[in-house]
Amino acid sequence: MTEYFDPKTQGGATSKSRRNFLKTVGASGVAAASTPLWAQTTQARAAETPEGDPVKASAPAPGMSRIQLNVNGVERTVDVAPQMVLLDVLRNELGLTGTKKGCDQGQCGACTVLVNGQAINSCLSLAISHQSDEITTIEGLERDGELHPVQQAFWEHDAFQCGYCTSGQIMSAVAVLNDDRIGQSDAAVREAMSGNICRCGAYKNILAAVQDARKTMKGGV
Amino acid sequence: MQSFELIRPESVKDAIGAQSERSAYIGGGTTLVDLMKLGVMQPDHVVDTNRLGLDEIEVLDDGRLKIGARVSNSRLATDARVERDYPVLSQALLSGASTGLRNMATTAGNVMQRTRCPYFRDPAKPCNKREPGTGCSAMDGINRNHAVLGTSEHCIATHPSDMCVAMAAIGATVVVEGRKGTREIPFEDFHLLPGDHPEREHDLRSDELITHVVLDAPLEGAVSTYLKLRDRASYEFALASCAAIVTLEGTKVTAARIALGGVATKPWRAVDAEAALVGEDATAKMFEQVALLAFQRAIPLEHNAFKVELGQQAIARALRDAVQQASQGEHQ
Amino acid sequence: MSETLNTQKPRIDGALKLSGGADYTADINLDGQLYGYPVGSAIASGELEGLELEEALGMPGVVDIFHHDNFDSTLKHSPNSFAEKNTVSEPRLPFEDTTIHYHGQYIALVVADTFEHARAAAQNVKGKYRANDQVTSQLDELDADNVAGLPGVLQEGDGQSRGEADAAYENAEVTLDHHYSIATETHAAMELHASTATWSGDHLTVYESTQGVVFQRHALSHVFSMPPEQINVISHFIGSGFGGKLFMWPHAIMTAVASRRLKRPVKTVVPRQSVFTSAGSRPRSMQRVRLGARADGTLTSIRHDGSNETAFVGMHNDTVISATPSMYACENVAVTNRVGEVNHGMPCPMRAPGEAPGLFALETAMDELAWQLEMDPVELRKKNFAERDPASDLPWSSNHLIECWDNAAKRFGWENRTAEIGAMREGDEIIGYGMASQSWEAMRLQCSARVTFLADGRLQVSCGTQDIGTGTYTIVAQTASELSGVPIEDIDVRLGDSSLPSGPLSGGSFATATVLPAVKAALDAATQALIDKVTQDGQAFSDVDSESIELNDRALTYGDRSIPVTTLLEELGIGQVTAEASAEPGDEKNDYSFRSFGAVFVEVRWDPGISRLKVERIVSTIDIGRAINPMTARNQVEGGLVMGLGMALFEQTEYDKSGYLYNANLADYIVPVHADIPPIDVELLDYPDYHLNAFGARGVGEIGLTGIAAAISNAVYHATGKRIRDLPISIERLLMAN
Repeated sequence: MTEYFDPKTQGGATSKSRRNFLKTVGASGVAAASTPLWAQTTQARAAETPEGDPVKASAPAPGMSRIQLNVNGVERTVDVAPQMVLLDVLRNELGLTGTKKGCDQGQCGACTVLVNGQAINSCLSLAISHQSDEITTIEGLERDGELHPVQQAFWEHDAFQCGYCTSGQIMSAVAVLNDDRIGQSDAAVREAMSGNICRCGAYKNILAAVQDARKTMKGGV
Repeated sequence: MQSFELIRPESVKDAIGAQSERSAYIGGGTTLVDLMKLGVMQPDHVVDTNRLGLDEIEVLDDGRLKIGARVSNSRLATDARVERDYPVLSQALLSGASTGLRNMATTAGNVMQRTRCPYFRDPAKPCNKREPGTGCSAMDGINRNHAVLGTSEHCIATHPSDMCVAMAAIGATVVVEGRKGTREIPFEDFHLLPGDHPEREHDLRSDELITHVVLDAPLEGAVSTYLKLRDRASYEFALASCAAIVTLEGTKVTAARIALGGVATKPWRAVDAEAALVGEDATAKMFEQVALLAFQRAIPLEHNAFKVELGQQAIARALRDAVQQASQGEHQ
Repeated sequence: MSETLNTQKPRIDGALKLSGGADYTADINLDGQLYGYPVGSAIASGELEGLELEEALGMPGVVDIFHHDNFDSTLKHSPNSFAEKNTVSEPRLPFEDTTIHYHGQYIALVVADTFEHARAAAQNVKGKYRANDQVTSQLDELDADNVAGLPGVLQEGDGQSRGEADAAYENAEVTLDHHYSIATETHAAMELHASTATWSGDHLTVYESTQGVVFQRHALSHVFSMPPEQINVISHFIGSGFGGKLFMWPHAIMTAVASRRLKRPVKTVVPRQSVFTSAGSRPRSMQRVRLGARADGTLTSIRHDGSNETAFVGMHNDTVISATPSMYACENVAVTNRVGEVNHGMPCPMRAPGEAPGLFALETAMDELAWQLEMDPVELRKKNFAERDPASDLPWSSNHLIECWDNAAKRFGWENRTAEIGAMREGDEIIGYGMASQSWEAMRLQCSARVTFLADGRLQVSCGTQDIGTGTYTIVAQTASELSGVPIEDIDVRLGDSSLPSGPLSGGSFATATVLPAVKAALDAATQALIDKVTQDGQAFSDVDSESIELNDRALTYGDRSIPVTTLLEELGIGQVTAEASAEPGDEKNDYSFRSFGAVFVEVRWDPGISRLKVERIVSTIDIGRAINPMTARNQVEGGLVMGLGMALFEQTEYDKSGYLYNANLADYIVPVHADIPPIDVELLDYPDYHLNAFGARGVGEIGLTGIAAAISNAVYHATGKRIRDLPISIERLLMAN
C-alpha cells in the first residue's frame, strides 16, 4: 500500500505541504529580489484553466443569470440566481472552498475576499453584481507554488490554530498592507483587522505575522 | 432568503421607475442582504443602484460638500476634504463596522440602515416596526442596546449608524429624486421618531431614491471629535456615542453641535445641551452640566438605564477632547 | 531528546490551512448531494401542535421536509456513556416528541437541491405552538446554601471534601463569604457545525465537524442499531470546537436519516443562530465561597458551593468546584455543586469546564481575603502552597507553581504595584494590577495508533483522534520523526477518521499525553516487525540477536552494520511494513497527583470619565510539563487568555424572560476582536513530567483560560475599588457598582 497520500480524500497533513514549506521557508532571498515572484499580478495564473465551469452550452435556466468573473486571474462563467451571494457561488459553484462561512451575516470576516483589490465580506454581496469584477480568494495568493509573503508569515508566526478564520484574516491582511490609508502601527493594524474574528485567539501571532510580512513586501502587493 | 428579481437600471430615472410597493434598493448590500437572509425584508424586486453613478464627492460653490449616494464609507472616511473639513465624520465612519463592511457600505445605504434590535431581526418575534400592531418584544424583553431618547410605547429600537450621528452634528441635507422631481430634506427631518408608527422610519416617499447627501459648510475654526463607547474596542455598535463640534472665542463657546448615537431612536441632536453651552466657558464642569440636559427627557428601561450616565459621559468627554484640540492648535 | 521534540516547529498542515486547501466538513461536496436546513422552535417551552408545510413543500428545489410525524421511529437513544465512548451532547433524539424544551429546538429539517432553496423553504416552515405560561428562563434559586428544599439536584464533591469546613469556618480568625456568578457563554467556534451523511448499502459515512470521530461513530451505532464497523466518521480539519463539538448533536442524526430516506448524500451546515440555540453552551453558574483563615493568612476552611443550570433535555454537571480541593493546603474543605433545569438548549463542556468558572470564584475570593488581611495576594497564595495534593494526599508528579508565581510576577513588574486602590494613574486612566493562580488536571487515556514504513522511505502514522487546531498533526509528526529518524517532511500523519485505530477526543487537554505514547508503541511494533523480517533466514541480519538491532536514522543497525529500511523493503519485495499498537496509563495515578499550574498577572486601565475598561497587558507563566512544540503550545495558552478576556469582560449568552435566546449571533454575542488584544507574554516552564508519559507532556489546551477572569476582576478592583463578582464585568456593572 504505497499509494500517494491525498489529503483531500484521506485527511491528514502531507508531504506536499511540507515540501512547500521547505521551499518557501528556504527562499530567504525572496525579499531581496528586485521583482519578487509574489508581486506579479493576478493575471499570472490566467494560463491555468479551471477544470470546467458549471455552465451548460444552452442558455441559463429560467431565473438564472450568466455572469463572468475574473477569479484569481482566471475568467470564470457561472449561472447564478439573484439571491446567491458571492461566498456561496465561490464555494458551491466554483469549488473554491478556501473562503469560509462563519456567520453568513457580516459578523465575523471569515468570508473576506478581495474584489478589485478591496477586502469585502462575500457573504453579504450578491454574486450577480460582480459581473467582470476581479476577485481574489485565498487560493489565488500563491505564485508558482510559493506562498504569498502574508501566508508565509502566518506560517512562521503560527498565526492560526484551527485555520478556519485564516483565509479571511490573510485576505484582510493583504488588503491592509496594500492600503496606504491605513497606518502601520500595531494599533492601526489591530483596528483595521478587527472585522476578522479569531475565536482561537491567535491575534497576537496574526499581528506579528502582518507586521513581519510588511517588511518582506516592502511596498509590493 | 426568498428569491427576487434583480433590476439593474442605468439611470436614476429608470431606477425610480422600477420602484414599487414590493421593491427595495440595494447599494452595498450590507443591510439588505443581511435582512433578506433573515427573512425580515422580502422584496419581490431589488433595484440595484450600482450602475447609477452617484459616486462623486464635490465641493459646492457655497462651501458645502455634496456626496454621491454610492460613495462607500471607506472612501468617504478617507477623502482628503472630509478629513480636513469634517474630521468628525471621518472618525465616525471609521468607528463603524469593519474594514470589509465599510468598503461595501454606501452613504445612502448607511442613511437607510435599519435597527439592530434582535427582535426586529427575527420574524418569529412580535415587532411593531416590522409588523405594525404585533407589539414590542424589547419593551419587556432584553433592552440593553435600546434607546432611552425618542422612544415611544411602541418602539425603543436604536438607530445604529455612526455616520448619521456625525452628519446630524455637522448639519446636512438629504437629496432625493422621485417621480415628481427632486426634493431636499433637512437631515434632522429625514429620520422619523417611532411614535405611533415605528414602521415609518424616514421621510422618503415610496418612489423616491436618495441621490446625494450634502453636508453644511464647515464651521469656521471649529474643533470636533467623535467618541464611541461600547463593550469591545471595535466592530460593535455604539452603546453611546457623541459627535461634538464647537467653536470658541477665547474660553467662551460660540457655537456648539452635539449629536448622539446608540441612545436614541434616530440620530439625535442634543439641542438643549447645545443651547446651554453657547456663551459659556468651556470647562469640564460646564460640559457635565449640559450633558445632563441632553438626557432630561430620557426614559430608561430595565436594562438600559446605564445609558443615561454613559451618554452623559460621552458628551462631556467629547466636548473636552474637542476643546483640548483648540488649545493645542488643532483646528479642523 | 532532541532535535524535533520540544522545539518550535511550524505546523505540518500549515500550507493546507494557509492556502484554503484544508478540507473542513462544509468544504466536502459529494455527487448528487442535497442540502439540509434546520428549522428551530420560536418558543422556549410548550407543545408543537403542528407545522405549516404546504407552502415550503411547493417551493423550488424542495425534496422533502423531515419532522416529528414522518421521522424515523426505529432510532434508539445512545447509552450516553463516556466509558463506552458513545456520549452525546443532547440525549433526546431529534423530533422525538412534540414537547418544546428550548428556543431553537429543531422542529423540522428542510432538504432541497441547493443551499439557497433549502434556506428559502425553511423560512416558510412555521410551527403552530401551544406555549406554556411558565418558562424557566433562569434559576437564581440555585444560588444559595445548598440546603434541602432548593431546586435542582445536589452533586456532592466527588468525595473530595475533607476535615470540618463549617466548624473551622466558625472558629476562623478571619472569614469571608461571597457569591459569584458567571453568565451563560457560547463556544462560538468560527466553523459552523456541519454534517454530511451518505449511505452505501448498509454502510454510513458521516463527514462531521467533531472533536471525537470515535465517540460519534459509537453514538451513531446505537442510534441506528448498526455495528460500528458499518459507520465511518470523518473530520480531517475542524474549525475548532472548544468543547462544543466533543459529542454528537441532533443535526447529525437528522442529516443521516434524511440521507437514508432520500438515498442521496445530504449536507447540513448549521446556521449560526442554531449553533447558538442548539449546539451547546457553558451554562450559567452561581457560586458561593466561604474562606476561613488565620490572621497570618493560613487558610483554615474552604467551603465552595457551586451550581449550574442545565437543560430539561439533559443533565450537565459543570463541576465548577473541581479544582478547589487541590488548590491550597487547607485541612478543612467542603465542596458541592447543584444543578437545576431551565428552558435552554443543552449545555456541554466548554474549554476548561469546571476550572475556568470555578477558579474565577476561588481566585477572586483569595484576592478579597488578601485585601482583608492586608497581605500581598501573591504572598497569601505562597503561604498556602500545597506541597502535595491535599485532595488525594498524593505527591504531585511535578509542581512548579511557586516558580510560576515568581517568574510571572517578575516579568510583569509586580513589585511596582502600589497596593492602595486607584493610586496608580496615567492621564485619564487609573491603573490596576491583579493576579491569579491557574490550574488544570492532567489526564491520560488509552489510545491506539498505527505506524507504516513505506517503501519510498516515508512513514505514515495514523490515529483516530483529531487536530482541532491545537497542533496534533504536527506533534505526532515530530514524535515519529524523533523516534524513527525519518525527517519530519517525510512523515504523513492521518487523523480524523474513525476507521483508524481508536484515538481520544480532542478535549480536556489530554490528547497529547494520550496519543504520543501510542505513536511510540506503534512505531516500536512496526520496528519490531521490520526486525522480525530482517532476522529471517536469508536476510541481512539473520545471524544477529534481534534484541540488539536498533532503528537509527531510517535504517536498522547492529553495531557498525546497517541496512536502510527502504532497501530492506525493496529486497523483501513488499511495499510496506505496518503495525498497530495501544498504550494506556499504568497505575501512576495511584502514586501521584497530576495537574498543570500557572500564574497570570494582568494590568487593566480604567477611565472612569467614560466608563472604559481595557486590559493593558497580560503575563502568564505556565507549568505544563514539557511542551512538545513550544510554538503551538504557547499559541494555545495565548488563545486561552484571549478567551478568558472575553469571559471576564464581554461574553454572555442572553435569554429573555420568555426563554428566547436574544443574542444568537456574532454581532450581539461579544467576543474579543483584534483591537481588544493587549501585549501578551507567556512563559512556558520546561519541567518534563515523566510520571505521566515518556514524553513528559501534560497537555496545554485548557489552562490558559483558567484564572485569567479572576486576575482581571482583581485588577479591576485594584483600579476602581469596585468588586465585581458577576461576569461579565460589563460597563453597566462598573457604572452601577459602588
